Amino acid sequence: MNTVNENESFLERHHYLLRRLHSLSGIVPIGTFLMIHLTTNSSIVWGLMDGKYPNMHGGAATYQHEVNFIHSLPLLLLIEIFGLWLPIAFHAGLGVVYALSGSNNVRRYKYQANWRYALQRLSGYIGVLFLFYHVATLRWGWTFLMPGNTKWDSEFAASTMALALRGETDGFTAVGMAVALFYMVGVSLLVFHMANGVWTAAITWGLTVTETAQKRWGYVCAGLGAGLMAAAWASVIGFATLDYDKAREAEEYIGGGHGSQILEAENESVRHSGAAGSEAVR
Amino acid sequence: MASSNGTVQATTRTVRFRIERSDGPGRGTRWEIFDVPVASGGEGSGSANVISCLQWIAAHPVTVEGRETTPITFDCGCLEEVCGACTMVINGKVRQACSCLIDDYAPNEGDEITLEAMSKFPTVKDLFVDRTRLFNDLKRIKGWVPIDGSYNLGAGPRETPDTQQVRYKLSECMSCGCCLEACPQYTLEVEPSGKGFVGAAVISQARYFNEHGTGSTLKKDRLDVMSGVGGVSDCGNAQNCAKACPKEIPLTESIAAIGRSTTFHRIKQFFSGK
Repeated sequence: MNTVNENESFLERHHYLLRRLHSLSGIVPIGTFLMIHLTTNSSIVWGLMDGKYPNMHGGAATYQHEVNFIHSLPLLLLIEIFGLWLPIAFHAGLGVVYALSGSNNVRRYKYQANWRYALQRLSGYIGVLFLFYHVATLRWGWTFLMPGNTKWDSEFAASTMALALRGETDGFTAVGMAVALFYMVGVSLLVFHMANGVWTAAITWGLTVTETAQKRWGYVCAGLGAGLMAAAWASVIGFATLDYDKAREAEEYIGGGHGSQILEAENESVRHSGAAGSEAVR
Repeated sequence: MASSNGTVQATTRTVRFRIERSDGPGRGTRWEIFDVPVASGGEGSGSANVISCLQWIAAHPVTVEGRETTPITFDCGCLEEVCGACTMVINGKVRQACSCLIDDYAPNEGDEITLEAMSKFPTVKDLFVDRTRLFNDLKRIKGWVPIDGSYNLGAGPRETPDTQQVRYKLSECMSCGCCLEACPQYTLEVEPSGKGFVGAAVISQARYFNEHGTGSTLKKDRLDVMSGVGGVSDCGNAQNCAKACPKEIPLTESIAAIGRSTTFHRIKQFFSGK
């Protein structure tokens, strides 16, 4: 039955493989990265409770420490291109093709799963726009798209992130407010997209066959979604509301570094925090 | 049924039908409104259903404006919700017209019921659609048990009570098309392409025959189709199918089960090269 038909398009010939790679790429590497990314970013809040840097903005210090670690990774650009940008482009591009093959009938069939079906596609569309803005402004340095034409700087990671969301050091500019809201909506939709995607992937691959299993896995995915949502909101709110000067102070103390400087800076920060920590105990 | 002793007094009420009509494929649609008298309040008055009302409209083809029109065309068969022929969209949702009781849908004088043809199949006329694609897709997945041979094949393998339990439910599918009408991934094909999404009913039938002892000899062929264009991977997990199914067949379980089968099938194929 499997006759080769030259009238078939590339998408048709590799239909199943592409569908499954689309599903897989959403979990590894994109979903996995999202979890790591939100954990790192939310350090702007959980860093405050960490107590590792008691005499400064612990969030900004912890976040700077994390950013320094990421920037010390070898072949970072290759990791970004092959681990993130290409998989995201693949997932988003195919996703749009697949989404356009469907239709929307939630007005007639108002079932919860049908709403999620529609929202999964909507969150994909808006999510990819958000991601493009996010990467273009913060990673590729398209400052003309930034509120107040500021620039994100990995050596002053938290304070320049605050500027990217606010447009100024204190309070919000109008554009800044719009960007901050876009971030809240964007990350919320993407977290939903991931949690719901993990739920449907289990059906797609045949992991959860029975309704009971699908329901159980649904609770797991809802829990995952709630946790990631908390991290996402903590990140955006944390950066949007931080004290610019205090963050700056913490960043200068930690010291953003390049290459060999990193290790030194890290060791130093550990030594400092160790000393400060023991002082605090005393 | 009329009351046996004839003492019960039945009054009538008027039920208004808004019907989307069409003269044929590609000829556009128009709305027509009919008032239908329905027995009310007497013993046995609850027997009026959408089909009996359509029969009345076909016999009295006059709209509420008093304009004479053509008799309404619709499809029906068993009148007990087992053949699926009278499937249509009633008040915006797909279901069988014969089991749609007027007392449930329009209990009061002047209540309205809206009828539309299924949107996912080509319209033949009015409420009558052509579901050939569904039949063709069942042929595509070889939805049968191969028992023909040049000699007596003997008795087939025994079925365990467990698989029987699962398969009995799947066997209740009447190919009515409710799951396809409600599915956001299933779209109308005016010209059959043979590549369109087969939909929940057909996926469930592939599972039904794959899990049959003798039917499973065609399992590989079915999974080839199921893992191809229009197969199970075109499902978007909106899960409307299981909600729309009048027989409450666990269609989403069938989709996941076939998803699992195709996963193993394709991995095996990848490594065996067959």
